[in-house]
Amino acid sequence: MTTVTEREAPAPTRPQGSPIGTNAARKEDDRLLRGAGCFADDVDPARVVEMAIGRCPYPHARIVDIDVSAALGAEGVLEVFVGADVAARSDPIGILRPVPGAPAIPHYALAQRTATYEGQPVVSVVAISRHHAEDAIELITVDYEPLPHVSDVASALAPGAPIIHPEVLDSNLLVANRQGAGDVEARCKEADVVIEADFFINRVTGLPMETRAVLAEWRPGARELMVRTSTQVPHLIRKQLAESLRIDESAVRVAASDVGGGFGLKLGIYPEDLLVSLHAMSLRRPVKFVEDRNEHFRSTTHGRESVHHYTVAARSDGHILAMSDVYANDLGGLNSPFGSSQLSTVVFNGPYKVDDGMVERRVVVTNKTPIGAYRGYGQPEVNFAYERIMDQLARRLGLDPVELRAANMVKADELPWVNPTGAVYDSGDYERCLRMAAKAVRWDEHRRTAHGPGSDGRYRGIGFSSYIERTGYASSKFLAGRGSQFGAHESVTLRANRTGGIDVYTGVSSIGQGSETVFAQMCSGFFGLPYDAVTVHAGDTAMSPLNTGAFASRTVIAAAGALAEACAHLQAKTLRIAAFIMEIEDVNKLKVDGYEVRHRDDPLLALPLSTVFTRAILGQGIPDGESPGLEETSYFEPEGAAYSFGTAAAIVNVDSETGEFEVERVVMVHDSGTPINPKLIEGQVLGGLTQGLGAALSEELRYDGETGQLVNGTMMDYFAPMICDVPPVELHHTEVPSPFTPMGVRGAGEVGCIPPAAAVANAVCNALEEFGVELYRLPITPERVWQALREANGEVVS
Amino acid sequence: MSAPRPPIETPLPLGLGEPNIIVTVEVNGTTVTEQVPTRLNVADFLRHRLGLTGTHVGCEQGVCGMCTVLVDGEAVKSCLLFAAQVNGRRIETVESLAPTESLSPLQQIFKEEHGLQCGFCTPGFLMTTTALAESHQLLTEDEIREELAGVMCRCTGYEFIVRAVKRYLDGVVHTSRDDVAADSNAN
Repeated sequence: MTTVTEREAPAPTRPQGSPIGTNAARKEDDRLLRGAGCFADDVDPARVVEMAIGRCPYPHARIVDIDVSAALGAEGVLEVFVGADVAARSDPIGILRPVPGAPAIPHYALAQRTATYEGQPVVSVVAISRHHAEDAIELITVDYEPLPHVSDVASALAPGAPIIHPEVLDSNLLVANRQGAGDVEARCKEADVVIEADFFINRVTGLPMETRAVLAEWRPGARELMVRTSTQVPHLIRKQLAESLRIDESAVRVAASDVGGGFGLKLGIYPEDLLVSLHAMSLRRPVKFVEDRNEHFRSTTHGRESVHHYTVAARSDGHILAMSDVYANDLGGLNSPFGSSQLSTVVFNGPYKVDDGMVERRVVVTNKTPIGAYRGYGQPEVNFAYERIMDQLARRLGLDPVELRAANMVKADELPWVNPTGAVYDSGDYERCLRMAAKAVRWDEHRRTAHGPGSDGRYRGIGFSSYIERTGYASSKFLAGRGSQFGAHESVTLRANRTGGIDVYTGVSSIGQGSETVFAQMCSGFFGLPYDAVTVHAGDTAMSPLNTGAFASRTVIAAAGALAEACAHLQAKTLRIAAFIMEIEDVNKLKVDGYEVRHRDDPLLALPLSTVFTRAILGQGIPDGESPGLEETSYFEPEGAAYSFGTAAAIVNVDSETGEFEVERVVMVHDSGTPINPKLIEGQVLGGLTQGLGAALSEELRYDGETGQLVNGTMMDYFAPMICDVPPVELHHTEVPSPFTPMGVRGAGEVGCIPPAAAVANAVCNALEEFGVELYRLPITPERVWQALREANGEVVS
Repeated sequence: MSAPRPPIETPLPLGLGEPNIIVTVEVNGTTVTEQVPTRLNVADFLRHRLGLTGTHVGCEQGVCGMCTVLVDGEAVKSCLLFAAQVNGRRIETVESLAPTESLSPLQQIFKEEHGLQCGFCTPGFLMTTTALAESHQLLTEDEIREELAGVMCRCTGYEFIVRAVKRYLDGVVHTSRDDVAADSNAN
């Protein structure tokens, strides 16, 4: 099945010849297609040695004793660290985006007296090869005293539960906070109908194809720690490393050239980043750590797991009076370097207009791998809750779920609008996307004709999920108020070169999103020189201006402004110097055209850019009073976040006996504002959608309650979608520009994974409507559907 | 609980005690002979001994397919083979596809169809498709999905990969049919 692309928007006007808005070929592709990318493990400096980690095999254990003597004497072993070594040499790892009000749970790179999750680093070994280091781990005897553990939110909060961090907390509740407006309780009393339900979101992992990898090299004479790592945020890694290593930030250089996928998992330092640095400084040799996949499942942050108690109150005509969500995040054993997801609170009401709303968030400590950011960061989770309950409300009131949604959506002319938790929805036409989705799946026809099983005995169902996504951040001020360790801006440095091209330097690393391409498109479009004359150098802190990084669907939103400003300044100076050389008085008569500066009225009057750039770089033959050099750095923070929006629809065919079902087709209508590169947006949406379908249908990290062990932590046992598993997908676009961002762009990196779970669940429930089936848990497996059928029939299913 | 430090005068062990083996293998047209530890797998051999880092490693378990290379023309997962097992055999990696300035037709189509994002899995898809093209069979989209099921991608959602592979394989089959037709006309 092919992807259908359809646009319902006027073509934006852009300068002639500008690559902005075109499907420019990706800058990243040639090297990657040749196998000539440079991922963190692709570099082997002379004298490099490797690190392996001994990890706690228990969910919760006291470390009584560690005997490393045999390992130290083993062949090829250079150094072994245990908790005390690390505590003597470094500080605990900081958090980039703490949950407001939450106390810190200080933890070092290696566990001290206790370990609080299976997979927590306990001992590190450096040897001449990974083989030797792993052999040595086998020779280390750790005397563990297993402690009582908790594997889920309910048991963590139960009276008498073992307290995991008694040094900081007197229960396993890290923090509870509440946001909202209006009076939900009063509205519930007035309402004709109030529906409450619990929704259980599965624990999943982003599973980038490249695991974490880091190489550290210490040059003591120069006091430089060079760290090559697979990260989305080189400048934030530099900050965190310098802090924990207690050295000046100027002594740390972090470079990420090619990153094999991030999805939120590579945000901030992990214990191993600190450990390779400590070993490299101690041994004065380059030290490398490449996480293997089994370690990845246990030590790289997980995502999503949460329980949402959602309430909706409405009049009998379907008008929603109030919405509230009381949810609990299952944090795992420690805070991750970035922190747990927070956007369930911000977009708790989705695209629906409601003045009375309340959200209570609880963050609960359990003995599992820490939860961190994962594509969507709370938005897929809460979307499942509010979109499932919308369908329940429609069923209860006997209303068409599409009409119920449309009637309650914030209207295009009501935007901008502030929701009860303070989010400023910028612009959009939510209802149009919903109508387009309904049309694409022939909803009206289905609603008229679908009664009972089809000729194959299966029940056909259609489900919808409308969503919004906050892309970018409200402001740096907003982030400051929440203790976040980064700003809402982006930055670029542009530098002209003697060849007549422009080098763009950015701290945004290339994680597959195509930012080199999009930055080059914008630089070319704003400055006026050819796309091929722009080269983007990404992810090296020694070359790029300080920035925030590649996450939160935000880099284009913020970087577009920085590029526009830097290009404007650079172009003005270029034209001034060119006017001087060409002896033209009015600089406004000149423009950049291809590889030349050209006179607007006399096309034969032209000067190569290489000449202008070379003069500027040499400082020779430039006007009096003009500074030499041709370089510009700009920082830009957009006015506010831009909210991407849309509706997904899924068509399913369900066997009412077995619960087995097939997803026949998924349609997604989305709006990412003004596109810079439509093809790359499609790629982002399709990729996100597939991850969202994986989390909806097959992915789940399962812990055994009794032993607290992760039972499916290998690629063989964790069912991320393979190429055969993806149903046919159709994409439709609208293009409503955001008033808050340069050119009206919105983010596109995460939208795909927000709506699929609710769309599929609603489709299954629609198919099985006559049985009264409702689904509350992810993933939606045939077994769960079968259970729901039995439960709807009044049977008790264990 | 501090670990005892090794006495400073201890000479650093060199790791020469482990069993080694000499392997001679043709890689991308060049015959190489290397002494390697018996437990070194082909992916690590290619990457860290020969510097052919285009072959990537994603799971070391034969599931993800990042490390797919051709051994005597057949697509295999190089993390599941020891270097010792390819003695006397012929290996082709992603680096063999475009020996000149320009991309190969398969690479060019992947670029045009946006069949890659982070690029980590791409060599696996390119090498699997290269082996698949040898059969000169016209494949449906579903058959292509079956054939490529040994390589994972987490970025693209696969759609554009399937499009690229279909376009390439269709082109290969048509070209070879034209060649056959041209040959028969010549006869």
